[in-house]
Amino acid sequence: MQMINIYIKALFKKLSRFSKHPYFGFVVFGIALVIAQLFSMGGILSQSVMTSFVLTMIYSVVALGFALLLGYAGLASLGTAGFVGLGTYLIGHFSGTLGYPLILTLLISLGGAVLLGVIVGFISLRIEGMYLAIITLGLAEIMKEVFKSFSAFTNGVNGLSFRDFNIFGIAISANAVNFIVIIVFILMIVATLNIIKSPTGRAFLAMKNSDSAAQSMGIALLKYRLIAFIIATLYAVIGGMLYMINQEFSIPQKWSLDFSLNILAAVIVGGAQSVTGIILGTFMIFGLNSAVLQNIDFFVQNPSATWILNGTLIIVVIMFYPGGLIRLLKTIVYKVKGWYLQLRHLWRIYRYGQDSK
Amino acid sequence: MINNLLIVLVISFAIYFLIDILFLRKKSKRFIYRARLVNVLFVLGILSGFYITITQMTLYIFLQIFLLNIAELCVLALATTGIVLIFKTSVTTNFAQGTMATFGAFFAAKLLLYLTRFVDMSMTLKLILALCASAFVAFLIGLFIDVVIIRNGKNVNSIGKQMITMGLVLLLLGLMPLVYGLIPLTVEAFSYDVKIFTLGEMTLILPDHNYYSLIITVAILLVLFISLRFTKWGLGVRATASNEIVAGMMGVNTRIITAMSWGIAGALGGVAAFLYAPVGSQVSVSYMVPVQVNAFLASVLGGFSTFGGPLVGVVLINLFQSMASFFNSVWSNVIVYTLVLILVLAKPFGLFGKRTAKKV
Repeated sequence: MQMINIYIKALFKKLSRFSKHPYFGFVVFGIALVIAQLFSMGGILSQSVMTSFVLTMIYSVVALGFALLLGYAGLASLGTAGFVGLGTYLIGHFSGTLGYPLILTLLISLGGAVLLGVIVGFISLRIEGMYLAIITLGLAEIMKEVFKSFSAFTNGVNGLSFRDFNIFGIAISANAVNFIVIIVFILMIVATLNIIKSPTGRAFLAMKNSDSAAQSMGIALLKYRLIAFIIATLYAVIGGMLYMINQEFSIPQKWSLDFSLNILAAVIVGGAQSVTGIILGTFMIFGLNSAVLQNIDFFVQNPSATWILNGTLIIVVIMFYPGGLIRLLKTIVYKVKGWYLQLRHLWRIYRYGQDSK
Repeated sequence: MINNLLIVLVISFAIYFLIDILFLRKKSKRFIYRARLVNVLFVLGILSGFYITITQMTLYIFLQIFLLNIAELCVLALATTGIVLIFKTSVTTNFAQGTMATFGAFFAAKLLLYLTRFVDMSMTLKLILALCASAFVAFLIGLFIDVVIIRNGKNVNSIGKQMITMGLVLLLLGLMPLVYGLIPLTVEAFSYDVKIFTLGEMTLILPDHNYYSLIITVAILLVLFISLRFTKWGLGVRATASNEIVAGMMGVNTRIITAMSWGIAGALGGVAAFLYAPVGSQVSVSYMVPVQVNAFLASVLGGFSTFGGPLVGVVLINLFQSMASFFNSVWSNVIVYTLVLILVLAKPFGLFGKRTAKKV
């Protein structure tokens, strides 16, 4: 009996050590999402809620890349929409229209993303701060115009549709696509956590706080700015590809300034320096509408009210909670913990007397 | 033509490197001479580029396209001046400029509808009234934004303020359908006639709307620039622009200066939106977005550090656009944005900008 007790204790100890691993929470989150998807396939969870979850995951991938750029490297970019649009068209054209195998499409797309990242990175070396935001905005406009005019590649303003997505000839159904999205989402989160903790992430932080100080500590601005933009464009292109296999349709009007602003809003509202915060922010901006607000009559009758909500949220968060909603949540948790400890202390004094510990 | 332009580009690069390596290497202040050399080559390059393009498309067509595009030039000039004014006083790029302006223009369009239905008035008077209403509503919105939001966010850094303006874009975009309804509205032009006049042997056409827009814009900008140069308010704006804290210590009421700048920028946008409505199409929620993007690019091209520089950027962008749309209408925007991108890469602080020394 005692032996079993010891074993159980050891097991719990191991489990508790396991649960403190940084990936643990996100892996559990992924498993929960898989269960949610199974529920929605079984008809327990409504389809619209799951759709909003999947869209949130796709946009979170984009937002994670953007947060590495903005929250860690301190480079403001408004070109996100163009990069995501490029991802959708790359997979739509090469895998859909031309029928290339998936591996080749992936190679082409990721190569294209790296190339684009290098270009924008070199631009960022010449132009800084708010000017960079405007110039990347111009770049996104260029890409949008290209999407509109380059009909052979993008099918113009009519939009490009992309059906029968397959991996090695095996057709993937819509539900299976959701599983792929969940897996990629969790992998991207793990990758982001690793980047943040790696020397690269530390170099980004140093660069954000002061260019000159970072340079004097031996951080090559050229290298790390290029890396930052390459990572951001890679994430955006992957997000775009996920969007294409999930939504099966891409249209140039979608990839305009609004989209970049929304991604920015998601990152800012959630908290640019926390992965949980970014996912929360993305859900607030993109997912909340279809998951929750569409069940409230007021928002169904006035679709523009969600814009007002988002705008107010951004302004209030920037003015009063610069760390984002996640900082607010953490503060609340600390406060509640403090109250609990105080109450427990008072109760102990009442129960055991003044000097008891 | 493209061959000639490429030759100009190659020659200017060659001259730059030759002079830089052969003559400037021995000078003690090499970078100052280098900057001057770049400026000279820039002016020569742009002029020769214009010369080559104009000879290709003939002077007559060039002038005609320019005259037809004057209204857009005026709209862009007004919007750009508003953005620069806010940048000067609040050190942020106002992404909500176009949306503020649209709010005003929507009000003007609604007012026009009301006046046509209930009041017996001549068309010109109605339009002038609506123009003033548009400017006034946008002025109030600008004032409101500064007093309620920007002023209370004093400890927000400039990129944070930029994001606040992006939040304002979403807020106003959401408010507009609630206040004005979902249907796009029309604003009539002052007159749909054209003026025909001869210049030398050429017979040119100038639409009346463009003519009136030009008069209104020039009048507004003249008043603005004169007051910036000679009045106490203008001195306050310039002092606030150079250093807000020190200006406050010297007795400048920076709060009022900043609030008035936001208001005036809004009013400029309101006028611009009103003038743009007959040119573009209808007053809809996001019809000012292209103007906004162009205005940003123009102010980056001209450089934010002067008031006059961005206006030069506006004229350049307008000329680029009219030329590009003559040669290739589908890809014209791509050509223009790429040109601006290249020019800005060559001079990161704008054509007339100054490099600001950074304290470490």
